[in-house]
Amino acid sequence: MKKLLLASAILILGVSAAKADYTMVIPQKPGAGTSQWASIISKHLEKHLGEKIVLKHIPGARDIPGFNKFHNDLRFDEKTIMVSHGGNGVSFLTEKVDYNYLDYDPIGGMNLTIVMGHKNLKDKAIFAGGSGNVPDVMALTLYLCGNLTSLSDYKKCYEDKITFVKGMSGGERRMAYRRGDLNVTRENPAAYKKHAQEAGEVLFTHGVTSAQGFKIVDDPNHPNKSFIKQFVEKWGEQPRGNLYEAYVLVKSYRDTLQKALWMNKNNPNTAKVRVALESMLNDPEAVKDIERSVGKYDWWKGEELFDVVNKLDSMTTKEVLITLVYWQKEVLGYNAILKK
Amino acid sequence: MIELIGGVLYGLAVGLIPTAGATTGLIILFSFLYIFPDPYSALIFIMAVVAASTTADTFSSVLLGIPGANSSAATIQDGYPLAQRGKASLALSSAITSSTLNGILWGVLVFCFIRQLDFVYLYVGTLELWIINLIAFLCVVFVLGKKWYLGLIGLALGIVFALVGTNPVTNSARLTFDWEYLKDGLQLMPIIAGVFAIPEIFDALVGNKKPYKKATKSYVKLGIYATFKNWWISLKGGIFGAIIGFLPGLGGAVADWIAYGQTVASVKNPTIPFGKGNIRGVIGCEGANNAQKATSMITTVLFGIPGAPFAAIVLALLMYLNIELGDPSIFEDQQLFNSMLFGFLGGTIIVAIILLLFLNKICYITNVPYKYYFPIIFILVVWSCVQYTGGWEDYLLFAIFSVIGIIAHKLHISKPAIIIGFILFERFELLSVQLLTRYIL
Repeated sequence: MKKLLLASAILILGVSAAKADYTMVIPQKPGAGTSQWASIISKHLEKHLGEKIVLKHIPGARDIPGFNKFHNDLRFDEKTIMVSHGGNGVSFLTEKVDYNYLDYDPIGGMNLTIVMGHKNLKDKAIFAGGSGNVPDVMALTLYLCGNLTSLSDYKKCYEDKITFVKGMSGGERRMAYRRGDLNVTRENPAAYKKHAQEAGEVLFTHGVTSAQGFKIVDDPNHPNKSFIKQFVEKWGEQPRGNLYEAYVLVKSYRDTLQKALWMNKNNPNTAKVRVALESMLNDPEAVKDIERSVGKYDWWKGEELFDVVNKLDSMTTKEVLITLVYWQKEVLGYNAILKK
Repeated sequence: MIELIGGVLYGLAVGLIPTAGATTGLIILFSFLYIFPDPYSALIFIMAVVAASTTADTFSSVLLGIPGANSSAATIQDGYPLAQRGKASLALSSAITSSTLNGILWGVLVFCFIRQLDFVYLYVGTLELWIINLIAFLCVVFVLGKKWYLGLIGLALGIVFALVGTNPVTNSARLTFDWEYLKDGLQLMPIIAGVFAIPEIFDALVGNKKPYKKATKSYVKLGIYATFKNWWISLKGGIFGAIIGFLPGLGGAVADWIAYGQTVASVKNPTIPFGKGNIRGVIGCEGANNAQKATSMITTVLFGIPGAPFAAIVLALLMYLNIELGDPSIFEDQQLFNSMLFGFLGGTIIVAIILLLFLNKICYITNVPYKYYFPIIFILVVWSCVQYTGGWEDYLLFAIFSVIGIIAHKLHISKPAIIIGFILFERFELLSVQLLTRYIL
């Protein structure tokens, strides 16, 4: 009996200790891109935090259920950290989701971009992806069509010049690009180097958002290859108009919040985790490891990321959303709703 | 060596749990990777887990009629009837021998020549993958011979289950009845458990299940001999498994059914009909098993593109260990390839030795009345089914599919066809969408 009681006590203590760990919620299956990033971040962050971080994967359709679960339930736990990724930003604008970035304390996030590559692209692009690639298709349309006067003109031009193949995973897209079945691809910078660099060349990058003035500037890893510069080179003028504004909004939501960490508003542990993150970013070994995963990019830290979210919110006007919904529904055939 | 033995024992345990399989076992490893002194030790452990669980998952299929993993459902067709006739050791020893020989053959070929294989992918596109999926559908229906319509009904049911979730063309919800939980589609575990495990447990509970014929003697030597006698069937199974594993995204279930289908088609006028305990039915599909696991690693290592669900987890585990598969720099790391080869081959061989040595003892479970071990099986199956969210929704889905499974069992609808329809249709639909947008619309 004594042994049984002792065993029970050890078990209870063990469970309590396990509960005391931090939990990092990832809205994807293990092995997916942001999951890999999160596993590397957690490995280094826990060293600087001084407490273990347990990964909790909550996958689901377009990675929404995990973030919803955080918003509705898990965020009230003081040791729960949420990992957001690019697709969450796109879904936030035009889909029915529960989560809202303004309700959380930002811990930090990487200021990333996406690289578009091509292989002998002339007039007709063959590109593959899912709803997270909406900004890529918009940019490709603008690049191939130039500044047009109306959305219906853009739609016609898109239909003439772009074949958007739905239903391909990232891996399949890479293989198809290597084979030449696709002549345009997209990757995060590190993956581009690994999977697409040899097969073709950079068409443009979406550019990164500068901390000063919140402007889209060159990706330091691919100078002079930003979308804006490539557009000007091709058409001799700056991109402008409704479609361009909608593109900037959705691209900014996706790329600036692509790999970011959040805790609930006024969580007493936020400051401690922010300090740990700062310390991790001064650890050369950790930085090298993270850069290997996504490339060499700056971080938005703590309040900087809060400012980003507020800026994005101010950019989200009804007019821009109408264009975005039109593009997703009428042009790409995706389900989309006007939220604001 | 400790890593190898540890990986084998862990993989063995995971493989023996009904419906669990290599992928489930690997996911759990994320919490334990820190115990390894270096990445290569962990890699040996991981590859040993893959090899050992793939060989061991046959036990559940043969002894209980419940797939050890979705890639071992085809083994049930002839393995389970053999166990019911008191010849479980014949089925299992044949399965282990066929699986092991192909594991060794394809493991050596893959890990020694992996660097020379990348050019092949230039010749395999969407259309080829679509056709292979279609062949797997046809195999699972037409291996039933005159009762093909029961396969077709099962396949249709599986396809309906696969339609639940999100429409890949429009991203809108489909057959979800506004239930958020279903937007990611139905999960595999409750369907496998409901369709395969629960009807067996239910029959045992209500007394409908006939006891297995007592195993009076060991058939281990005969089983090994049968594999060598039918070496061509085993090798052909291995070739099919290797080809399917080589193509990203198809997975073990396709490999097993195509291997089984070709075995059935190639043996004219069998003395024992297929589906009633023909040992060649076991040898063919088990030949595909470990071969598929080995070749699934090719795209994973060369391009960082997982060749199967388990390979996605291997990729993530190695990323955690600072080994980035798909990066050209890994080709300079000979220790990496040596560790993979050592883990996979060592795991394949050691698990085979352990299982063959203890096979007779394990097979005595068929002499034990169901009431003593089915409660444990039930608990393990429920555990596997509630790993998705752990919430009440998991339990509800499990209950619903248990009822569907019992009805399908009573109506003799092909259970493997239900599973294959469910597993493959999502992929088939996506490939069809790709073909339509690329070449027709």
